[in-house]
Amino acid sequence: MSTPIIPTELVAPIWNPASYANRDAVEQIFATLRRDYPLAMCEVPGYKPHWIVTKYKDVREVSRLDDIFHSGDISKTPASIMAEAMMAEYSGGKPHIFRTLVHMDKPDHTEYRNVVKDVFMPQNVATLKDGVLASAREFADQMADMNGECDFAETIAMRYPLQVICDQIGLPREDHATMLRLTQWFLSYADPDLCRPGSVLTDPEQQIKTWQIVYDEFKSYYTDLVAQRRAAPRKDLATLIAHGQIHGQPMDERGMISYFVIASTAGHDTTAATIGNAMWILARDPGLFSRIKADRSLISGFVEEAIRISTPPMAFVRSATQDYELSGQQIKKGDRLYVSYLSANKDEEVFDAPFAFQPDRTPNRHIGFGFGSHICVGQHLARLEMRTLWEELFERLEWVEMAGEGQWQESEFVCGPKRVPIRYKMN
Amino acid sequence: MRKWQCTTCGDIYDEAIGDPDSGIAPGTRFEDIPDDWMCPTCGSTKDSFEPYTE
Ligand code: HEM
Ligand SMILES: [Zn+2]
Repeated sequence: MSTPIIPTELVAPIWNPASYANRDAVEQIFATLRRDYPLAMCEVPGYKPHWIVTKYKDVREVSRLDDIFHSGDISKTPASIMAEAMMAEYSGGKPHIFRTLVHMDKPDHTEYRNVVKDVFMPQNVATLKDGVLASAREFADQMADMNGECDFAETIAMRYPLQVICDQIGLPREDHATMLRLTQWFLSYADPDLCRPGSVLTDPEQQIKTWQIVYDEFKSYYTDLVAQRRAAPRKDLATLIAHGQIHGQPMDERGMISYFVIASTAGHDTTAATIGNAMWILARDPGLFSRIKADRSLISGFVEEAIRISTPPMAFVRSATQDYELSGQQIKKGDRLYVSYLSANKDEEVFDAPFAFQPDRTPNRHIGFGFGSHICVGQHLARLEMRTLWEELFERLEWVEMAGEGQWQESEFVCGPKRVPIRYKMN
Repeated sequence: MRKWQCTTCGDIYDEAIGDPDSGIAPGTRFEDIPDDWMCPTCGSTKDSFEPYTE
């Protein structure tokens, strides 16, 4: 069978950060792909050829077969030929700026993941309940003090998960805002409102400068912290990472800085996106709001559905280490696969009415946290955080509505709303 | 009846409940699950599971 090729005009927008400002249009592209090109080749000028993997079954299969579909040989995030060249130049020939868990394969991946794995197991996350509740109450109080109007994305959704994860890492509260700024410069580099001031997307030099600044700031910050924790251990993530052993040796510098980077970026940006989008949905749907307010047992399903609908990390890229037949297509050794979690989570064959928000959807085996050995290590913390906040908000909010237009970030990798202006009454 | 935990994702396999979605009946002992069974949450193989005590 010859390889199906997706028409360029159909698929090109998925690579462009600006496309994601119009979420519905992006969802529509993937719906068309699932129907007409479920597993097909994308050959867009400026990008190497990629298979676009859109179906739930295929996304799970590729994600699960980590030895066949590597995470560390090429950029794990969608990147143009120019961006890949820049990353290689910047990192001295490596495919990534940072080498985090996400960018590793066995055996290193297992070793690095083991450093923090236990503290994120559900039974251990459960012991964090009181601290998380205190943060949720603090942010609910802030909301109550804002005279019934706020930009929920900026004031609550982005700040509450930031506080929870930074508390866990062991960062003083006054440094949390710095972490938010660095995360946004790094992950939302293409959004005109969130990128580093002065950086221009069309200028590659500026992009490299942003990476340099972000890496240097993270490095100087965390090098100090590691020294402190080695001298005086505490009960926090920073201490675990500072003492982490990899194949019986201390972590190297790049591995250690990257570890902090993944914890202090992936640990809140994704949760922020989910919380912000969930409020956006609620504020437009008074029926949904009153239904959950009246029956709080729906909160946990509400959170799962918010993750499925939002799917903040929308895609990862893998490369094949050997030939493999996937759903009747012949993947060749060295081929690249753009694996769309966003698409898999809307697959009509798995989710009835995939665009409908159904807090009581059962089963809801979404892959918002990924699948396979890279599955989100923070998933139980993320759930605890979100359930705790929504328990507070459903208790205290009497009603909520939009007070202006919401707005999505312009981001082709991790994406969430950057503006969710709401009006509300709460006690 | 015992419980087992997936060391990759934290999922619990409770022998009393089984994994009916994957055709594993309630009451199935972990040892008796077929070797090609996968963790329903993350797809890990059987050998990723450890005995779990509360
Ligand atoms: C709603 C919130 C969250 C979502 C949707 C989410 C999503 C994801 C996804 C899809 C992956 C898989 C990456 C891959 O396939 O390579 C992942 C990995 C990861 N997440 Fe999360 N995440 C969330 C919250 C968190 C939190 C709170 C933490 C806190 C520590 C965290 C830390 C990580 C780490 C360290 C990895 C890398 C795991 C690995 O590659 O082995 N995440 N996350
Ligand atoms: Zn598992």
